[in-house]
Amino acid sequence: MSGARVEAPAAKPAGAKNSAAKPGAAKRGGKAVTPNTGERTIVAFCCSECAYAAADAAANARASLPPTVRLVLMPCTGRVSPLHLLSALADGADGAMVAGCLEGQCHYREGNFQAIDRVAFVQRLLESVGVEPERVRMFTMSAGDPPRFVAAVREMDRVIGSLPPLGRA
Amino acid sequence: MPLTHRGREIVGRLPHDVAIGRGIGCEIVRHEELCVGCGTCAKNCPSGASRRGDTFDVNQLLSAPADSRRGALGAALQRIARHAPARVIAVPERVTVFRTIFYDEEECLGCGACARNCPVEAIEARPAVVPAAPAAESTS
Repeated sequence: MSGARVEAPAAKPAGAKNSAAKPGAAKRGGKAVTPNTGERTIVAFCCSECAYAAADAAANARASLPPTVRLVLMPCTGRVSPLHLLSALADGADGAMVAGCLEGQCHYREGNFQAIDRVAFVQRLLESVGVEPERVRMFTMSAGDPPRFVAAVREMDRVIGSLPPLGRA
Repeated sequence: MPLTHRGREIVGRLPHDVAIGRGIGCEIVRHEELCVGCGTCAKNCPSGASRRGDTFDVNQLLSAPADSRRGALGAALQRIARHAPARVIAVPERVTVFRTIFYDEEECLGCGACARNCPVEAIEARPAVVPAAPAAESTS
């Protein structure tokens, strides 16, 4: 639910506004959840203190990210709840990753430890209903380490690409 | 489980005839479908009747009402599920909610501390049904 809430309003006004100027943008804005190549989508919940800054630096360094990843800015990974991760999967994503600070370096002291445990909880939930637990994963990195962010996203993309598609009821 | 210090204090404040036996207070009604599993009731329970478990039954998510957060989580889980959740899963230490709360009616004193402290009002403390006879005596 929240995953769609983050993405859908961002996609719709952009499509509506640019539809007169750019026809391609309107086409992209029409599909709310999976606008890209149609292969797979990975939602990356990024901590604003480190992982999002690392993504920013990676973009400035012109590192190429897989087109499947969608970045969602979080104030801290401690904000990520099991509902964020599960509803991202239920509403169209094939994988969800949480990217936070290195252990012990959370800006809010223990937000990333909570995120690690919540991700473990969601993995167990997924396992209990027969879904691969690798679809949800936690990565830690520092703000000054853009290659690690790029490597994490590529790793996630590779793992999700090797899994069978997620059947949705 | 024997009474804690706080439990003894509560029993000591009551009139003697009410404090005899177990029925010292309210009838506790738990609404399991509203419970979020935070364990606040267990933290505030003076007698140890409520206990916060380390496990979680996934089927609790599916039976929660649809407009609650647990219900939303259950709906999301059901959409991607490949088979019915059959297992009880262990909960990591720092996940504070999503725990099964065990409630032992035999141990309960009926003090209502759990109902007062429940953040989602999943516990109701109703007036006691047992001491009806002493109440009739005192009014006459």
